[in-house]
Amino acid sequence: MRNPWAQTGNYRTSYVQDTTIFANYREIVSLVLFLVALCTLPLFLERSQVLVLNFILIYAIAVLGLNITTGYAGLISVGQAAFMGVGAYTVALAAPDLPFWLTIPLGGITAAIIGFIVGIPSLRVKHLYLALATLAFQEIFVWVVGRSPALAQGAAIPVEMRNFLGLEIGFRNHNYFWYYIILLVLVLMVIAWRNLLRGKYGRALIAVRDNDRAADAMGMDPGRTKLMAFALGAFYGGVAGGLLAYMQRAVVVEEFTLGRSVALLAMAIVGGLGTVVGSLLGPAFIEFLRLYMERLSEWMKASAFVQNITPAGVDVASALLPLSFGLVIVLFLIFEPRGLFNWWRLLRSYFRTWPFKY
Amino acid sequence: MIDFVQNLISGIAVGCIYALAALGFVLVYKSSRVINFSNGQFIAIGAFLAYALAVWAKLPVLLAALLGMLLTAGLGFLVERVFLRKMVGQPIISVIMVTIGLASVLDGLMYLTPFGSGNFTFPQFLPQGGLNLGGISISYPQLLAIGFTALFLVLFGWFFQRSVLGVSMRAVADDQMASMSVGVSVQRVFALAWAVAGLTAAAAGIVVGTVSGLNQDGLIAIGLAVFPAVILGGLDSVPGAVVGGIIIGILQSFSTAYLDGVLSQAGLVGGGSQYVMPFVVLLVMLWFKPHGLFGTEEIERV
Repeated sequence: MRNPWAQTGNYRTSYVQDTTIFANYREIVSLVLFLVALCTLPLFLERSQVLVLNFILIYAIAVLGLNITTGYAGLISVGQAAFMGVGAYTVALAAPDLPFWLTIPLGGITAAIIGFIVGIPSLRVKHLYLALATLAFQEIFVWVVGRSPALAQGAAIPVEMRNFLGLEIGFRNHNYFWYYIILLVLVLMVIAWRNLLRGKYGRALIAVRDNDRAADAMGMDPGRTKLMAFALGAFYGGVAGGLLAYMQRAVVVEEFTLGRSVALLAMAIVGGLGTVVGSLLGPAFIEFLRLYMERLSEWMKASAFVQNITPAGVDVASALLPLSFGLVIVLFLIFEPRGLFNWWRLLRSYFRTWPFKY
Repeated sequence: MIDFVQNLISGIAVGCIYALAALGFVLVYKSSRVINFSNGQFIAIGAFLAYALAVWAKLPVLLAALLGMLLTAGLGFLVERVFLRKMVGQPIISVIMVTIGLASVLDGLMYLTPFGSGNFTFPQFLPQGGLNLGGISISYPQLLAIGFTALFLVLFGWFFQRSVLGVSMRAVADDQMASMSVGVSVQRVFALAWAVAGLTAAAAGIVVGTVSGLNQDGLIAIGLAVFPAVILGGLDSVPGAVVGGIIIGILQSFSTAYLDGVLSQAGLVGGGSQYVMPFVVLLVMLWFKPHGLFGTEEIERV
């Protein structure tokens, strides 16, 4: 390697170099700086703002999982919210007896087992059918929760954690405490994600996605690979759901509906499928979009002018959210299928080569 | 026994609605391999358009229904032109996700109309009551659902067997490349498939309007219940769509009648198993017989 600080392109010439995570020192430094920024960020923010960050990071974990199933394995999942729900309800049932560092992985494992069962058709059929399997699971999950007295029929089940190693977690520091826990989990999950997918298994997944017959001929087992991807994606979803349960101090079934699954899919697409940066940018974009759309609709409800020009019975405010979500999905798919990640890439290469064009 | 037959008949009537909606869905899948997640929205829009024309524009009900169906067909055509044609050549996953996004957009558009919330009753144009056959009664709306589906099936059969467009659609479904090389316009076939999907979805919506009331969530739920129907029948089989739809309808009717009680004894309170049974069937079918009853198994050659 030449001067590792000034490197501008991909100079990897051997397989050993290709297996390294970072191309140069600059990437390591910028990552460390980014992590430090994330760690200090809550110190400058109010409680409600930290709450927004918490949601973004939790959804980022779920979207990472979705990026295994949809981004890497090419199986559309419209049931990621249900897998989050499995994790959340596992946590809600186990929380009174077990500490959180056990219940959250437990939630992930339960979700993975169910994801494995739901994904069984992938042993035989291709991606199109899997979308329907996840849709079926999503609907069955919401129905079963809504009918089970043991799960409060979908009404709120409280998940309390009042202190941790002597640290009192109350109204004031709740969001801050969970912010650091979520951040830690996210970092661990990203490391696992990167290492899993740059190794043998990740390459097998890409091969199966791009041409499963060729992968089969090369000695990989497409069915097993896809099934694994399904279980892994569900595991990420379950962990995200468990964190959500603690962070919200309750589990409600409304958090895990088909609409939320579609929103998670939108996050993955908008961010850019199959990328870590995209898994962060997508949830941030969609959550802020939702936040501002909610503010806009509140303003519309309050504004006399808007109320005057809309005919009776028309609810403009509640139309904003689905409309903007759908438009974002469709427009990104048509005009920028590689998502925000591509903008990030272009931006980076612009600064890297500045003042030259390339 | 009479109860059983009565349940069977109401199940068949509901199943006919699914069958109608599934026809267009299968057509789109057959010609372009796109799974259309916005089918429920098309059903709702078709039904509401017909309602608006009949009640607000005060057109005769049958004319309003016909116009509503044609307008929804136009919407299907427009959707194909504006969104899906841009996606030609993209991976099929992206195309399917466009339909998911589209469903969300159409949902939002419906909230911009008074139909976004509340229930609407389609104007009565059928006489009250129904036929009575030895203790078994069939209401006129149920007869209409069955008759409408039968009519559509005959029309479809004629269209695909006899008309040039229908034959070219079958050709495209069979082999896109080959049909292109003998001069079939694949683009026109795709557009037509979407238009027909809009038409049949609207027909299903209008039948729902006469059988029960109109409600956005309910209509979209019918769009979701179409998935079990088409998987049961086989994704690429038109007769399969009809048979699958009717089986799902009967299943729903029977699960309301017989399963709800069993489930509440087993600890799942609240009933409503008719909403979940189609999806249980969908999952079980995918496990054991993913190509459905009449679907063709994909055979790939390297």
